[in-house]
Amino acid sequence: MPKVFVTGMGVISAIGNNTAENLAHLRKGKTGIAKAKYVNSNYADTRPFAEVKLSTEELRSQLNLKTTKGLTRTDYIAFTALKEALESSQLAPEEVSSEQTAFISASTIGGMCMTDQLYKDANLISNGSEYVESYPGSTHILKIAKEYKLSGIVDAINTACSSSANAIMLGAKLIKSGRATRAIVGGTDSIGKFSINGFNALQILSDEHCAPFDENRKGLNLGEGAAYLVLESEEIVRDKKIFAEILGYGNSNDAFHPSALSEDAIGVVECISRALKSAKITPEEIDYINAHGTATGNNDITELTGINKVFNGFPPFNSTKSYTGHTLAASGAIEAVYSILSINNNELYPSLNCKNAINTYNQFPITKFAKKDIKTVLSNSFGFGGNCTSLIIREA
Amino acid sequence: MEAVALKAKLKTQIIQYLNLLDITPEDIKDDTPLFGEELGLDSIDSIELIVLLEREYGIKITNPTEGRKVLVDVEQMAAYILEHSENLK
Amino acid sequence: MYIIDCYSISPQKTFDESFFEGQVEGFVGNKYHAIEPSYADLIPRGLLRRMGKAVRIGIGAGLPLIEKQKDIDGIIIGTATGGLDDCIKFLNQIVEYDEGTLTPTNFVQSTPNAIGGHLAMMSKNTGYNNTHMGIGTAFESTLLDAFLLFEEGEASKLLIGNVEETSQHHYNIDAYAGYFKTEEISSTELFNSNSKGSICGEGAAMFVVSNKKENALCKLVDVHQFTYPKSENIEERVSQFLEKNNMSLQDIDSLVLGFSGDNRYDFWYTNLMNSFPKSTVYSYKNLVGEYPTSSGFATWLATKILTGKKTPNKAIYKDANRTPKNILIYNNYLGAQHGFILLKST
Repeated sequence: MPKVFVTGMGVISAIGNNTAENLAHLRKGKTGIAKAKYVNSNYADTRPFAEVKLSTEELRSQLNLKTTKGLTRTDYIAFTALKEALESSQLAPEEVSSEQTAFISASTIGGMCMTDQLYKDANLISNGSEYVESYPGSTHILKIAKEYKLSGIVDAINTACSSSANAIMLGAKLIKSGRATRAIVGGTDSIGKFSINGFNALQILSDEHCAPFDENRKGLNLGEGAAYLVLESEEIVRDKKIFAEILGYGNSNDAFHPSALSEDAIGVVECISRALKSAKITPEEIDYINAHGTATGNNDITELTGINKVFNGFPPFNSTKSYTGHTLAASGAIEAVYSILSINNNELYPSLNCKNAINTYNQFPITKFAKKDIKTVLSNSFGFGGNCTSLIIREA
Repeated sequence: MEAVALKAKLKTQIIQYLNLLDITPEDIKDDTPLFGEELGLDSIDSIELIVLLEREYGIKITNPTEGRKVLVDVEQMAAYILEHSENLK
Repeated sequence: MYIIDCYSISPQKTFDESFFEGQVEGFVGNKYHAIEPSYADLIPRGLLRRMGKAVRIGIGAGLPLIEKQKDIDGIIIGTATGGLDDCIKFLNQIVEYDEGTLTPTNFVQSTPNAIGGHLAMMSKNTGYNNTHMGIGTAFESTLLDAFLLFEEGEASKLLIGNVEETSQHHYNIDAYAGYFKTEEISSTELFNSNSKGSICGEGAAMFVVSNKKENALCKLVDVHQFTYPKSENIEERVSQFLEKNNMSLQDIDSLVLGFSGDNRYDFWYTNLMNSFPKSTVYSYKNLVGEYPTSSGFATWLATKILTGKKTPNKAIYKDANRTPKNILIYNNYLGAQHGFILLKST
C-alpha cells in the first residue's frame, strides 16, 4: 500500500488567517481568545471567544469566488483555508477537479451560524432566504464542489468534535486502498448562537480563558476556524515538498454517554491503541501529543487517564485549544496542521493557562516554548456521541 | 396558590418537561425521590427541572448546591416555589 | 461484502412482512411519514423519552439487528441531516427565550452522530464508529467505508445503514429551496406529474454486512459515487462501473431506480433505463418519498428481491419477467450527487 503524504495545508483560526500567522502566534504563546467582536449573542460580552479576526465581509472580499449566493461565515472560512492548502500543494485546477481526487470535509454548525435567519426560514416567518440550502453542516461540501468543479468522491463526516480527524483518516484510507490518488481533507466551523447556547446549556462554556489540564478548569471557549490538508499517494508526489506522512489512525466509540466520556477512558485507550497498531509503532516512539484538551471537567481528566494507561507515563503534551478555543468539527484538522508545524520546525508550543496540574496525575502540559527533535506526533480528537479518533503523523 | 394544587400542577409539568413516558401524576408521590429508582432521572434532567422552575415560576437557580437542595422531591420543590416565586405573589 | 440481515422502517409497513404480503400504503400530499414499530421492548423509557425521530428510527431499525449478532465490529451510519428537528427545536428555544436558560437535550440529540453514538452506547460497542453526512451520497460513502474496513482486515461484521427524518420545520426550509411539488399529488400519480419537485419522505434502513458468505442474503458487490458530472452520458459511466466488476450491461437483469417525479432530474433515470432494454425496473420513491439517503431503502428493497420476495406491483416500474440475480441501483440527489450500488444473488 502506498504511503500517504501531506503535500499541502492551509489554516485559518483565531491566531491567524494563514499557516504563517498561526505559527507566529504559537511560537510567541499568544492566544486568539478575546472579547468578541463579531459574535451576535447575549453572551458576547460575558464569555470570551476565539473568533477569526476578519468580518464575514472581509473574508468574502478576499476570496474572489464565482458565486457567493447563500454562502455563510462557515463557508468563507472553509474557502479561505482550502485556497491556501491548494496553493501550498501547487495543484492545477484539473488536478483538483479530477475524479481521482476525493474531498472529505466536516462541519457541525454549518449554516446554523445564521441562527436567526434559520429560525425565520424554518418557521415560515421569511419569504425563503438565500440561505435555505445552507443550514445543515454538510452543505458546504457542495458549494466547494461547485466552485472547484470537484467530480470524485465528495463526502462530509460528522462525529461531532472528532469530525475532521475522521476526514483525515478516511482520506488516507482511500489513498491506501487505491480508490483515490489524492484527498483534500479537513473541516470548518464558525461561532453562532446555536453552539454558544448549546454548550452553555450543558454548563461547559467557561466565562474565563479556558485552562486545559488545570485542576480548576471551568470549561471550554468556543472558537472558529478551518483547516485543510492535501493528502497524496507517494506514487504521484514526485519532487513536491512533503510536509509529513499520515502514518496511522485509530477510531473507536466510548459507548458510555451521549455527552461525556467514561471514567475509565475506554474509548480514548482504544483509539490511541488502534492508531499505534495501524502505524506499527510503539508508544515510546511518540515524541509529543497534541491533546484534545477542551478544558471541560470531564474531558481533561479522562484524556490523562487514557494517555496514562497506554503510555504508562506522559509524553510532552499540550492543548492548542488554549489559543484557538474549541473549533468543533475543524479542531482535528487545525490540530493536525499544528502537529505538522511542530514536526517541521522541531518545536513544542506552550499550552496556556494551566496554573495547577490536575491533582490525580500532577502532570503539567508543555508550559514553555522548546526546541526539540520531533519526529512522530499523536493528535487526539473526541466528540459527543462517544466518538474518539487519534491520528499519528510522522516526519517524512 | 395553595400547596396541594401546586404540587398537582408540578407533577404534570415534570412529566411534560421531561417527557416521562407511561408515568401519570398519580405515580409521583409528594415524597417520591426525583433522582431515585422509580423515576430514573439523571443530571440532564436536573437542568431541565431548573428550566421548568424558571419558565413556569420565574425562579432562577444558578448555584448548583442550591439546586441539589431543592430538587429532592415534589414536596421540597413546592415548598421552595411557595417561598420564592414572584409569579405566585 | 455480504448482507446477512436487514431491517427497514419506512412510510410502508416494512418492519414486518406486511409490505410483501401486499399491504401497500398510498399517499396523497407531499409528505410521507414513517410507520414506526413499538419500541417498548427495545428502548428503555429513560432513553426513548429524549429521542427525536431520527435517533428513534435509527435505533429502532439498528438495535434489533445488533442484538441478534454478538460480534459486530463497528457501526457506520449515513444521514444527510440527522436530528435536524431537534436542531430547530433547540433553535426555537434560543429565539423564544432570548438565549435564557435552555434545556440541552435537543442540542445533544441534534448532532448527526447521535444515532451511531446511541447504537454504540446501547450495545456497548466500542468498535469503529463513523457517520457520513455527504447529503445525496452519504449512504454510498457508508458502504465505501465498510468496504475499506473489510479490505484492511479491520472488521469481519459491521452494522451499517441510513437514517433520514422529516419534520414540518425541515419541510418548510426544503420547500423554500424548491425540493417539493407545490401541487397536491397522490403517490400513484407521482411519475406522471411532469412538474418540478418531488415529495418528502423519510426512513431508516439498517444492514448487517459481513466479509463471509455464510448466511448471506445477497452479495453487495461494489459502490461508486460521483459529483456534478461533466457529461450527461450515464451509459458510459455505468459501463465502466460494470466493467470494473467484470460485468456488462447485459448481465443486469434488474434495476432499482430513483425516479422521483421531479421533471428536472428524472431524465437521468430514463437515460440509464434505455441502456438496459431487457431489464425489469423497480421504483421506490412512490412508496417512501424522496430524501438524500433513500438509496438505503433501495438497497433494502434489492436485498429482499434477491432473496425471492415478490414485490407489490406498485414497486414495479417496468416488468421484463426476469429472475433477479444481478441488481443495479442508481440514484441521484437533485442531479448533483450520483451513486451506483451493485448487488448479486448468492
